[in-house]
Amino acid sequence: MITVENLQKEYKLVKRDPGLKGAVKSLFHRQYETKKAVKGVDFTIGQGETVGYIGANGAGKSTTIKMLTGILTPSAGKVTVNGLVPYENRQENALSIGAVFGQRTQLFWDIPVRESFNLLKHIYEIPDQEFAETVSMFTEVLNLEPLLGVPVRQLSLGQKMRCELAAAFLHRPKVVYLDEPTIGLDIAVKVRIRKFIKEMNKIWGTTVLLTTHDMQDIEEICDRIIIIDEGRILYDGGLEEIKVQFGQKRVIHFDLPELDSPFILPAPLLGMAEVLPASEGETKVSLSFDHERVKSSFVISEMMNRYDIQDLTIADPKIESIVEELYNRREQGGTYEQVLANS
Amino acid sequence: MRRYAKLYWEFAKNQMKVMMEYRIDFIIGVLSVMLEQFASIFFIKVVFNHIEQINGWSFYEILFIYGIAATGRSIHHIFFDNLWTLGWQYIRPGQLDRLLIRPINPLFHIVADRLHQDGFGQLIIGLIILGTAIPQLDLAWGAVEIALLVVMIISSGMIFVAVNLFFATFSFWMIDSLPVVWAVFNLSDFARYPLTIYHKGIRTFLTWIIPYGFTAFYPAAYFIDKSGFRELALWTPAVALVCCVIAYSFWNRGLRSFASTGS
Repeated sequence: MITVENLQKEYKLVKRDPGLKGAVKSLFHRQYETKKAVKGVDFTIGQGETVGYIGANGAGKSTTIKMLTGILTPSAGKVTVNGLVPYENRQENALSIGAVFGQRTQLFWDIPVRESFNLLKHIYEIPDQEFAETVSMFTEVLNLEPLLGVPVRQLSLGQKMRCELAAAFLHRPKVVYLDEPTIGLDIAVKVRIRKFIKEMNKIWGTTVLLTTHDMQDIEEICDRIIIIDEGRILYDGGLEEIKVQFGQKRVIHFDLPELDSPFILPAPLLGMAEVLPASEGETKVSLSFDHERVKSSFVISEMMNRYDIQDLTIADPKIESIVEELYNRREQGGTYEQVLANS
Repeated sequence: MRRYAKLYWEFAKNQMKVMMEYRIDFIIGVLSVMLEQFASIFFIKVVFNHIEQINGWSFYEILFIYGIAATGRSIHHIFFDNLWTLGWQYIRPGQLDRLLIRPINPLFHIVADRLHQDGFGQLIIGLIILGTAIPQLDLAWGAVEIALLVVMIISSGMIFVAVNLFFATFSFWMIDSLPVVWAVFNLSDFARYPLTIYHKGIRTFLTWIIPYGFTAFYPAAYFIDKSGFRELALWTPAVALVCCVIAYSFWNRGLRSFASTGS
């Protein structure tokens, strides 16, 4: 159970003028500017939830996670994780959390994976029996058997990440923070890792907070997403709801083999649907429309009245395109409120 | 405490396994440190071939001081060597974050992360030097003296540790304070000779500011009657304790500051 209230973090940065002159100047006379990385974030995550925490680079994701794990102390606001304030009771909190930070290893570099796990067993004081059960289960699900005797430094990225995941869940933590766990991995490893996370969530009810740039991770693992941008929450809600709220634009692709003249939109659809630029050949036409205003069936039936349709596909709204659109709208200016209001 | 002792053993076992794996590294490491020490002792020997005494101190007395310094330093070298790497191995690459989310003391974790093989060379040399010097010193050795020597050596080691920890802690603000740690550590070379041969300013500095004097000269002076430092020498364990407390408090302060600024 994680509660976050008005969480803020600001960094003090040295302001530098460009060039060598600026560097020399800053040696004697320093000017600081404060950069607000997180500007007042609120959310509550219940036990067993799987939450995707997403945002563009530099949006404040990692800073938030560092505060939740107790590595960083917030500038203002409050965090409690399982009733503890992480940055005040860091070591106690550490017992019930696990973490994977994409590019940094949790394992011990020079020693074999098995010994790494064994050290973690002692660090977290995991009982022998529980440890043996957990390791044998992980070995099977993540296919670790051939890796256990290999020193960590000799593992490939994908192999290492599987071991990292195992290390993060080894002490059966209540909450696991995964900061880009699939970065740079091939598709087969990604699939295995996602499956593992879902399974742990199911078996032990582990709360998972995941940051990623791979929307497939989100679609497969998370029930809920929190989108953060420039230190503020842009969206917090169910994965399905965001598709409804932001993804009302539907696209249907029609295959019209007998189309010989330029495509003309059927009269009843004028002003309701938009013709997307054709991609493959002349015979394919894609229509985009507002799902709230026009029913898909209406679009299809009007098209059928007018044209001879060989095939059609209704594109599923992808979370990826929704998020992309959200970022784009932000970039084109406008406040969060406007972005939300316009969508 | 018991938990940490057990944990240390678990860490150490793995370190030893790694050492055995890199056999050649182990041997080269130990031998190179021994060679380095031999070279400096040889230098003292050459000096003493031409003169009888330095400021009233004979060759074997100086060797005795040297032996305590080497043995004390070996404790630091074997068990606490990782303090050197705080900046470039932990803070700069963000590895410290990983330690902060473990349910154990982060300083313990850093220290336990490495058991340094080269330190064993230092230890062997230290013991050889002590073994050579002590029989020539015309001292009465009983159980009390031996126990006291051990306490003095451990205190010496802890002073080395505390000074390094103190200056390594600056890494929390300056990312990597290695050059500072190194510069301060080099001062300890002065402390391997009788402090009485130096100017008063240096003597005061090495006694009360950076107390490297207590790593070798004062403990040795306790056993050598004529020195006139016997009483001060008895304070060595207390000095070590105070140094450790100061260094550890400073470390905690650095850690807090790190948590509020990040890297």
